[in-house]
Amino acid sequence: MERNLTHIALFAALIAVLGLVPKIDLAAGVPITAQSLGIMLCGTVLGARRGALAVLLFLALVAAGLPLLSGGRGGLGVFAGPSVGYLVGFPVAAFVTGWLMERTTLSTGLAAGAASVIGGIGVLYVFGIGGMALMLGVTPTEAAFLGMAFLPGDIVKAVLAGMVTQSLARMRPASLLSRA
Amino acid sequence: MPDPAPSGIRLDQATVRLGGRVVLDGLRLSLSERRIGILGRNGSGKTTLLRLIAGLIAPDQGRVTVEGADPFADRKAALGNLGILFQNPDHQILFPTVEEELAFGLVQQGLPQREALARAHDLLAGEGRSHWAQAPVSTLSQGQRHYLCLLAVLMMQPRTILLDEPFAGLDLPTQARLSRRLAALPQRLVTITHDPAALEGADRVLWLEAGRIALDGPPAEVLPAFIAEMERIGACDADADLAG
Amino acid sequence: MLTLTSPVEIWAHRLPAGLKLGFLALATSGLFMLDRPLWLAAAALAAAGLYASAGGRFALAGLRLLRPLWPFLVVVGLWHLWTGAWQAGGVILLRMATAVALANFVTMTTRLSDMIATVQRLARPLAVVGLSPRRLALAMALVIRFIPVMLERMEQITQSWRARSPRSPRWRVLVPATLAALDDADRAAEALRARGGAG
Repeated sequence: MERNLTHIALFAALIAVLGLVPKIDLAAGVPITAQSLGIMLCGTVLGARRGALAVLLFLALVAAGLPLLSGGRGGLGVFAGPSVGYLVGFPVAAFVTGWLMERTTLSTGLAAGAASVIGGIGVLYVFGIGGMALMLGVTPTEAAFLGMAFLPGDIVKAVLAGMVTQSLARMRPASLLSRA
Repeated sequence: MPDPAPSGIRLDQATVRLGGRVVLDGLRLSLSERRIGILGRNGSGKTTLLRLIAGLIAPDQGRVTVEGADPFADRKAALGNLGILFQNPDHQILFPTVEEELAFGLVQQGLPQREALARAHDLLAGEGRSHWAQAPVSTLSQGQRHYLCLLAVLMMQPRTILLDEPFAGLDLPTQARLSRRLAALPQRLVTITHDPAALEGADRVLWLEAGRIALDGPPAEVLPAFIAEMERIGACDADADLAG
Repeated sequence: MLTLTSPVEIWAHRLPAGLKLGFLALATSGLFMLDRPLWLAAAALAAAGLYASAGGRFALAGLRLLRPLWPFLVVVGLWHLWTGAWQAGGVILLRMATAVALANFVTMTTRLSDMIATVQRLARPLAVVGLSPRRLALAMALVIRFIPVMLERMEQITQSWRARSPRSPRWRVLVPATLAALDDADRAAEALRARGGAG
């Protein structure tokens, strides 16, 4: 009971911290913010239900006024802005990533990478691009054009999510609640 | 302050295995003194023993009772019987501000939030630290955080306080202050440490070695024996064996 | 912890959080029903008036909070200009900017503790699906408590890497950082159990 609660809370904190730390240099000169990687890890490590709850907890604190979104954004305003679709999509993305992770029989690293691509990119982009189309009054195709700018970075993040999850599985097999 | 009841802490053939390894091996103990020390090297099982007594883990075999109640199963009774001060305050503090951290234990014992906060403020005022109430715990120093943890435990007025290496990582003035504060407490204290010097004032010292009691008696008897053995081991140059 | 609440105290700070949220919900729904540029311009002006009533320093901070919107405003503005639908473009941009500004206004004038209390009150119906308000309050406090702890841990990890390597750790901090979160969760669970559990 307690472990469920603290895992959800600590991963909500992890999403925040990954958005707050200075951009991580992937290779020299290719900085990314790791926040959406945090969303993916919620799914691959905690599984569907706990992962989605961690993301919801994170969003509740953002709405309450903490500047925890990457770039120091937060407050109620972000839910009225063009990126609202991504925010709505975050918990769904974590849920789908976790759901796939719980069901696939692929090896851990591969499963985490693939689940992150489907949940953390595919599902998230549907929500994010849909939101932009709605908020900006453009067609989904036009919005998708805007959204695709982040695709290369997000693919790298999905690969990283796979590698991190794989390492966790090797170093602390019991820690992967998604595969318990 | 409640007096330690005569029944105290009892272990009956308590065995704990972690990852298939026997960490505590059929311990039989009856602890009722006011100042008890548990002494052991790294890996002797002393922290596991503390967690077992605190009811954070259950024995794989045998029985543990504190004041007659099973601390693992009966958490409500355990809250009034036992407080635990973890070695690292950052593993213990759960709340962002000092007053919330202090009030939490009382709320858990059934007090309304408002009254719990009022008592936290009273306690801080009594300690001359009223200005701490709203302070974020992240702004406190290591020693102050340790002190906050002790206050949070004292708020709940347990009969026994379990201390895990209470002086590790504290500078000398902070150690002196903390040990003065601890010495004045009416509660039963169980101190777990690898440092014999911390147990000189104890009523009884148990030396734990590989999950069993190696020696049990007054400090004047146990501490010199422990020190002699540690010096003997330290003189050998073999620290390459892996556990398990 | 750093929040978005404005340190400049204005009249709106004294209104109850629930009331402000109620107004915000009404105003935002209203904005999405308006589609005449003139009406929307009036709404935008009213929002600007709110900020102006709070004085220069507050208004400037408010403008700064709108900064993340600029790229969208520029791209969408140019796009609608290019397709000739400048009126539709104007409606969308005015509506979005006004809605965001109003929402920010509520955030800037409400203390974090009040907002958290309101979030917890709003979440009370979730008790039927098993999310008790007490557990939510505990979880929110834990997140706020552990963010600075984890930031410091990331810094330590980076430093201990640098102490033994000429290169920066880059993404390699992620594994120890995630492990640390898992360990912290286990220890916090234990500390919670030691003091009466999450009930």
